[in-house]
Amino acid sequence: MSAGEGSGGAPSTAGAGPMFDLPPELAIDAGVARRVMVGFIRNQLRQAGFNRGLLGLSGGIDSALVAFLTAEAVGPESLLCVLMPYRTSSPESVDHARLVVDQLGCASDMVDISQIVDGYFGREGDVGAGGADAFAANPLRRGNFMARARMCVLYDRSVQWGGLVVGTGNKTESLIGYSTLFGDSACAFNPIGDLYKSQVRQVAAAMGVPEEIIRKAPSADLWPGQTDEAEAGFSYPELDRLLFWMIDKRRTDEELLAMGFPEAMIARVKRLVAVSEFKRQVPPVAKLGPRTTGVDYLYPRRRPGSAR
Amino acid sequence: MQPLRIALAQLAPRLGVLDDNLAVHREALAAARAGGAGLVVFPELGLTGYQLQDLAAEVAMRADDPRLIGLAADAAGMSAIVSFVEEAADHRLFISAALLEDGAVSFIHRKLFLPTYGLFDERRFFAAGDRLRTVESRLGVRLGIAVCEDFWHLAVPETLALDGAQILINVSSSPGRDLAAIHEVGLGTAASWRNLMRTYAQLTTSFVVFCNRVGMDETISFWGGSEVIGPSGEALFTAPMFEEGLHFVDIQVGDVRRERIGLPLLRDERPELHLRELRRILAERTEMAIDQASEAPDRRPGEDRAPDGEKDGR
Repeated sequence: MSAGEGSGGAPSTAGAGPMFDLPPELAIDAGVARRVMVGFIRNQLRQAGFNRGLLGLSGGIDSALVAFLTAEAVGPESLLCVLMPYRTSSPESVDHARLVVDQLGCASDMVDISQIVDGYFGREGDVGAGGADAFAANPLRRGNFMARARMCVLYDRSVQWGGLVVGTGNKTESLIGYSTLFGDSACAFNPIGDLYKSQVRQVAAAMGVPEEIIRKAPSADLWPGQTDEAEAGFSYPELDRLLFWMIDKRRTDEELLAMGFPEAMIARVKRLVAVSEFKRQVPPVAKLGPRTTGVDYLYPRRRPGSAR
Repeated sequence: MQPLRIALAQLAPRLGVLDDNLAVHREALAAARAGGAGLVVFPELGLTGYQLQDLAAEVAMRADDPRLIGLAADAAGMSAIVSFVEEAADHRLFISAALLEDGAVSFIHRKLFLPTYGLFDERRFFAAGDRLRTVESRLGVRLGIAVCEDFWHLAVPETLALDGAQILINVSSSPGRDLAAIHEVGLGTAASWRNLMRTYAQLTTSFVVFCNRVGMDETISFWGGSEVIGPSGEALFTAPMFEEGLHFVDIQVGDVRRERIGLPLLRDERPELHLRELRRILAERTEMAIDQASEAPDRRPGEDRAPDGEKDGR
C-alpha cells in the first residue's frame, strides 16, 4: 500500500491533519480501483469507436478524479475539460478546475452558462423565455436548469470534440438522489458511479488530485454558500457508512440501530433512496410487442457492429 | 521424468466477435507451441466473451463446427482446452469447455452450475450440463475439467478426483467485485478463489489449474490471476491480475503420486458412505422412498413440499 491507501483517513502532505475521514469498512485498494476504472474508460470508448472523452469540470473532487482517470486512460491530449460557471458560481470553483487542467495538461474550454440560464429565467428588468413567473423561480428550479444547461453544452461540445461524455456522479449522491435527472447525471458511461464519496476521496488522494480540492466542503455550487452536507444534514463519512451497511451489506433497520445509527437518519436515508429509484433507471416502456427493449430484448450495449 | 509444460492463456476476449477471438486463440496456440507447451488452457467463453445475453444464440457453435475443428487442427501435437457456446442437436445452449487433441474435439464438459443471482443471469440464457466425467488425455494424465461456478460446489472437485483426475482444470470468467482493503489482494473475489484452489488441491491431492480471463464486458471487469496449484496446496504460479498474457508453468505429474502416498486422503475417502447418506438426505427432502427419490428429477430445497392443504387442491 502506498500513502493514502490506508484506513482511517489519508495523511496530508501539508501536515495539517488527515485530508478526510475514511471509515475503515469503506477503505478500498485504491490501486485496484484505479486500474479497473481506467480500463473501463478505455474499453467503453474503444467499443463505441471513440478515443476521446470530455467532461464538465466543476472544481469539485468528483469531476477532478474523473479527469485524472480519463487522462490516464486515453492521455491528456484526448481529454477535454469544459468549465461551465454561472455568474453566481464561486470563483474558487473555476480556480480549482484550472488547477486540474494545468496539472494534467489537458484541453479545456470555458462556457459561461449565465446567458442561457438568464435567457430563460430573465434578469432584473428583462423577462426571459420562461415568462415573467420564471423570474421568481426557486433555487431548486434554477439549480436543475443549470445542471441541464451544462448537459446541453457538454453534449454539443462532444460532437465538436469527437468524444464521449464521461460521467462524474458518485454512488452516494446517486443512492440518495442528489443529482439532476438528465442534468449532471447525463453521460455516456460513468467510471466512479460505484464509489462512495469517501472512496472517491481515497482514490483522488492516491492519484494526486490537488489537496485543496480534496479538503474543501463538497458543494453543488448552485447557489452561493451551498454545501452538500449542510443540505443533507449529515456528513459524508456518516452517510457513506450507513449506505454501505444498508445497501451493500444488506443490514436490517434493527441491525443498523444496534450498530449505533440514529433511527431518524435511517428512516430519512431509506426514504431518500426509495424516492430516487426513478433517477437510477432508464424510463420504463409499456410492454406491448413480442420483444421489448430492456424486458426480453437483452443485448450488450457494445457488440459487433455497435461502434460508430 | 519430463515435466508437463502448461500454457495459461489469460486472454481478454472481445464480446460476441467470434472471428477475432478465433484468431487470438490461433495465435496463442502457435505461441504455446513455440514455447514447448503440452497443455494449453483458455478461459471460459474465451471464444465468445461472457456477457452475451441474447447474443448467445448468435455465436453458438455445434461441437462439430468447422471453426472448432480448425482450431483443433491448429492445436495438433498439444492438448488444448477452449470454451465456447455449444448448441446441442436439440438447440439447447451450453457453456462448454472442449478438449482438443489430435486434430479433433475429444471431450466436452458442459457447465453444470449456472449462477443466476447477484450480477449473474446465466440460467436465463443457458442450459445446465448434466454429466461430470474425467478424461484420459494424450498426455498420459487424467484431467477433470470444470467451468467457473462448477468449482463453487464441493461435489465437483471431489467427484472428479474420485473419478481419477490428477489435474483439476477450471476455466473461468470471474468478474472482479467486492473491492475492499481488507482483502489480501484488494479484491474479495480473488481472495475467495485463491482459498478454493488451494483447498481443493490439498484435499484432492491433485494439481489445480485455474485459467481466468481479463478485460471487460460492459460494466464488469475480469481479474485474471490464473494459477497452478500443486497437490500439496502450494501455489506454483500466479499470473498478474488484470493483465493479458500467455504464461508457461512446468509441473511434475509425479508429484501427485508422491503426495498421495504421503497423504492418502483420496485412499481414505468413503464414497459409499457419502452415497448412502446422500440417498437418505434426498429421500427425506422429497418425502419419497429411497429408491424413488434417487431417481426423481432434481428438486430444490424449499420447493419440495406443498403447503398443507394444497396437495389435493391442484
